[in-house]
Amino acid sequence: MNILRNISFGQYIPGKSLVHDFDPRIKILGCLLIIISLFLISHFWGYLVLGILLLLGIILSNIHPRFVFRGLRAILYIIIFTLILHLFMTQGETIFRWGFLKITREGLINGLFVSCRLFLLILTTSLLTLTTSPISLTDGIEKLLTYFKFMGLPAHEIAMMMTIALRFIPTLLEETEKIMKAQISRGADFDSGSIINRTKNLIPILVPLFVNAFRRADELAIAMEAKGYRGGEGRTHYRELQMNKKDILFFTLIVILTIMVSLLF
Amino acid sequence: MFIRLENVNFTYNPNMPFETIALKNINLEIEKGEFIGLIGHTGCGKTTLIQHLNGLLTPTSGRVYIEGLDIHQKGVNLKLIRQKIGLVFQYPENQLFEETVFEEIAFGPKKLGLAEEEIKKRVYEALEMVDLDFSYAERSPFSLSGGEMRRVALASILSIKPQMLILDEPTANLDPQGRNRILSEIKAIYDNYRITILLVSHNMEKIAEMVKRILVMNKGEIILDGSPREIFTQQAEKLINIGLALPQVTQCFYELKKRGKYWNGGILTVEEAEKEILKRTKKSVDVQK
Repeated sequence: MNILRNISFGQYIPGKSLVHDFDPRIKILGCLLIIISLFLISHFWGYLVLGILLLLGIILSNIHPRFVFRGLRAILYIIIFTLILHLFMTQGETIFRWGFLKITREGLINGLFVSCRLFLLILTTSLLTLTTSPISLTDGIEKLLTYFKFMGLPAHEIAMMMTIALRFIPTLLEETEKIMKAQISRGADFDSGSIINRTKNLIPILVPLFVNAFRRADELAIAMEAKGYRGGEGRTHYRELQMNKKDILFFTLIVILTIMVSLLF
Repeated sequence: MFIRLENVNFTYNPNMPFETIALKNINLEIEKGEFIGLIGHTGCGKTTLIQHLNGLLTPTSGRVYIEGLDIHQKGVNLKLIRQKIGLVFQYPENQLFEETVFEEIAFGPKKLGLAEEEIKKRVYEALEMVDLDFSYAERSPFSLSGGEMRRVALASILSIKPQMLILDEPTANLDPQGRNRILSEIKAIYDNYRITILLVSHNMEKIAEMVKRILVMNKGEIILDGSPREIFTQQAEKLINIGLALPQVTQCFYELKKRGKYWNGGILTVEEAEKEILKRTKKSVDVQK
């Protein structure tokens, strides 16, 4: 029953640290740069450098490594799956053979390489969400998107939708858990039976969940209207984002580092 | 002994920054045929406690015995436990999902693998228990009023024929009429079928009137356990101190007793109050003569 509580990928851990304090725009752009360079790098050395950078980030963020790696556990299977696919599906010089299965040298290297890339990708984004509250994250995204407003991008609306979606993730999880428990009390069984049966068993969860979600959306819309919400035009912020020296310093550092790493390796 | 909780502790999100201790060293025994009221503030652990009684939550430490069986031993079929202990959640109307009321109430019996005839029998029996017309059977649960939906949800637990019924604030968010109806149905279920009942409620008047035993929870602990008369009259001070209310009449006589020594403070129902007032006024009339 505690499955739903263990999803910690994308969770925010409140705290006070240098990494928590950085301007969200800087953090988002920094992550973006690191992610781009992760795809440009074609050598393990590059990953080592970025890995050390991220490790430094985790240490500076004061977040217990347990939380960081708890989030990674969920994608471990994806990494293992891609590793296996690469191991057996790549053509090249055979280094190990067992029946019709063969592992190639290229497969091994490629597999490890892609696994490293995935691992670092998730680590980067985890570090972002672990140290940035959903509110400042969407604030940051909204600010960044306003630079594209000249293209007709509805920055505020997108940010508002994201805020609402993020806001309701815990609510929906909580509600799912409650409905599951209630249906279990009525005799439902979610852990056994064939795949078809298990899928059918989801109906008693999904129907009430959707009914309630639609009702809640309706109520939220009315409540927003009652409070005088009329879109982003002329709307001010309670907390204005402000960049200071350390943000700019950090950003320059990231820019230089990622460009160097991408060019060198 | 029907249910026994031994040193039960429960913590949400252990070893996380959001860790909260919900239950502290709970020891509790419930006999068959009891009618118990559970009161306490929002967030004091009532809902957490009742979810331990049918095995939805596993204690962080301590044991839960049902009919002498430790339900968290290996190999215990919790489904059987949940048939014995029917738990009606708060706002149970939010769990309805079937196309008709009949299907909704038949959900539990179907999961038990009962024969078609038996299922039908149970559905109509359950409808009767919650005082709904048989014409409701073919209606959509989503077309009903809030009070009716809640009664359908209650019926969908009753159709499993549990030996114990746990109700988590069954009257929350209902209008006075709906509230009284559902409570009188619960009372009738207890009187007619002698199902053990645990009722979580904030309605002190009804609790005082209906139940035989009251449990008071505060900050994850059971701090009082006794008959309504003991709790509301002898322990009134303690209840008020933790911020809980007394039934209105009891409160009234409690205040009167504080001001004048002639008044009997231990009044629980309106009938008792009437008698007491008549007795007093008669006396004072006699004195005046």
